[in-house]
Amino acid sequence: MRKWLLFMVILAVVGVVFGKVNFASTQMTPAAEREFMLNKLAEFSKSSGIDVEFLNFEYPQLFSRLQAEIRAGRTTLNLVADLQGNLYIMASEGLLSDLKDLKFEGKTFIETLEKFAYVNGEKIFVPWLQATYVMAVNKKAFDYLPRGLSRDDVIKGTEKWTYEALLEWAKNIYEKTGQPLLGFPIGPKGLWHRFLHGYIYPSFTGAQALKFDSVRAVEMWNYLKELFKYVHPASSTWDGMADPLLREEVWIAWDHTARLKPAIVEKPDAFVAVPVPRGPMGRGYIIVLVGLAIPKGADFEEPAKVIDYLTSSEMQVEILKNVGFFPVVQEAVGAVPEGALKVLAEGVINQSATKDSVVSFIPSLGPKSGEFTETYRMAFTRIVFQGEDPAKVVKELGERIRWMFKETGAELPEPDASLF
Amino acid sequence: MRRKWIPFLLILPAVLYLAVLMGYPLFETFRLAFTSNEGFFGNFRRLMESGEFWNAMKNTLLLTAVIVPAQLILALGLAFFVNWKFRGYTMILYFIAIPLALSDVTAALMSYTIFSPNGYLNKVLMSLNLIERPLYFFGYMFKAREFWVIALTEIWRATPLVFIIILAGLQSINREYLEAADLFGFSRWKKFTKIILPLLKPSIMSALLLRTLFAFQIFGVVWLLAGRDIPVLAGETYYWYTFMNDPKMASAYALVIALVTIIVSWFYITFLRAKHLEGAR
Repeated sequence: MRKWLLFMVILAVVGVVFGKVNFASTQMTPAAEREFMLNKLAEFSKSSGIDVEFLNFEYPQLFSRLQAEIRAGRTTLNLVADLQGNLYIMASEGLLSDLKDLKFEGKTFIETLEKFAYVNGEKIFVPWLQATYVMAVNKKAFDYLPRGLSRDDVIKGTEKWTYEALLEWAKNIYEKTGQPLLGFPIGPKGLWHRFLHGYIYPSFTGAQALKFDSVRAVEMWNYLKELFKYVHPASSTWDGMADPLLREEVWIAWDHTARLKPAIVEKPDAFVAVPVPRGPMGRGYIIVLVGLAIPKGADFEEPAKVIDYLTSSEMQVEILKNVGFFPVVQEAVGAVPEGALKVLAEGVINQSATKDSVVSFIPSLGPKSGEFTETYRMAFTRIVFQGEDPAKVVKELGERIRWMFKETGAELPEPDASLF
Repeated sequence: MRRKWIPFLLILPAVLYLAVLMGYPLFETFRLAFTSNEGFFGNFRRLMESGEFWNAMKNTLLLTAVIVPAQLILALGLAFFVNWKFRGYTMILYFIAIPLALSDVTAALMSYTIFSPNGYLNKVLMSLNLIERPLYFFGYMFKAREFWVIALTEIWRATPLVFIIILAGLQSINREYLEAADLFGFSRWKKFTKIILPLLKPSIMSALLLRTLFAFQIFGVVWLLAGRDIPVLAGETYYWYTFMNDPKMASAYALVIALVTIIVSWFYITFLRAKHLEGAR
């Protein structure tokens, strides 16, 4: 036993030092996902002859390890996967290589995502995975479309698919069926706060936080007050929208793709996943984006081959099937097999392909993240449920939001950062 | 000389246990509650100025006012019923005592499976064609219904505790008093008001005190069934600690709960003292 352990330790040390590609990732850490990655990387090693060591890190440890290695001039980690926000911080510390000259044959990265890979003219990562929140629509709802809005408008996310149109639609359904059939995950574990700060706020004001108490924000709250006449009253108990969709308690719902998936898997023919509506300032939505980066001082040759493999259509589809992250490569979309995943993937891709996208990233406020999201929820509860005056409420809470960014010294998230 | 230390050594483990697991957290709570950027009472000022605190206070008091009397009346009735000692009364006794073994989380989840949109109640009503769509008992729009479901759950869950205490009190009443009363031709009502109730008073008081203190700390059932639709003091404490990541405000809330329970206990002990025990001292 002791010998065996010693052997393993030696193997691990040797692996870290002499392995060809040491791939450090803060993603795919849960056991099942890690196992999936190990199997896939083993397949790659067999066919390419390149050894890949898959190492899981928490972001703070990864950051300090990279810093130490680059200061010492000995880079052992030569491929990194992390959320785009964390990669920005690494890049600003000068820890990442410029990947501008890396070219991959036969793949087209989705333009919206590619845009965010550049910092000060340097390309700091290659997009790898994306996740987002979309709307799921029961096909029955299309029989009640309001005048001037077609099924195609909704599915493709044209300029006619607006929040006003959503209101008209929900109202029409309510008047014809006598039921409020629009729903949101407002339960205690629901992701409603993401809709507020990453979707409707940027759509109406062009920013997540900076315009929290602007005139347009007050218009937005008045819109929500109106919309909620046609929202299912049990919304405040739902943590995820899959069950209400399956029970047909609602026909139109917004949620995270992973939480809509069970409904669509069960009845792929009953639902469509569609882009979210747009507001006066564009179509605000959140993208969770994971990128692949190469640390400073590492040789590109072998890590680039791994990146090429990880962003191949087959691998992107495998990831979607096993882990639920969506492809970042156009060609992969065609490779998704018919069925639930295809329905979801089309919604996600259609959303990220809209010309009026206002992409939001979740701000990284560390210890204040909880208070940040709670403040949006609090504003909603006070204005829509308790009928307080929106102008008064946003004025009161706006100060607090700005203070959180000051207090933590956090970077402003997109789209707020681009306002300057 | 050594003999003097032995008693202290013997209680040392208990003292250590209390100091580490009670004393230190208590001290920390005080320290946190009184540290803020806005001075010594900053957290408390923030607490008093927020509408949520008064709302939580109101709800906690309301729930207590509904639950505790209902439990007392129910428990009294059940105790008298079981105390007849009819055939098979032990079965009934066990039946009533079942919820004693349940945690509040379990009770809340059981209640949720009954009242949820696709729970037993809706299933039954729908299969009998009494309703077309599920009735909703939870959610912000149905606060009043949420309140009653919580009250019902809490009454069902904690009445047995009161019942056991009162039953024990009943069974310890000396039969000779009642036989003497029969001899003098007391009516049933007179027996109840002049003999049983006064002798039951100590049990009633301890049951009331226990239940009221726990009612002020009501949390699990409310949190699971209503989230923050119906804020209560203990729920707000948890909310400030976990959601808002603010241990200082959470400590301030915890201290307020402690203060309120101390006041309530003092009130009970001062005003509900069993009169006939006074002379014995």
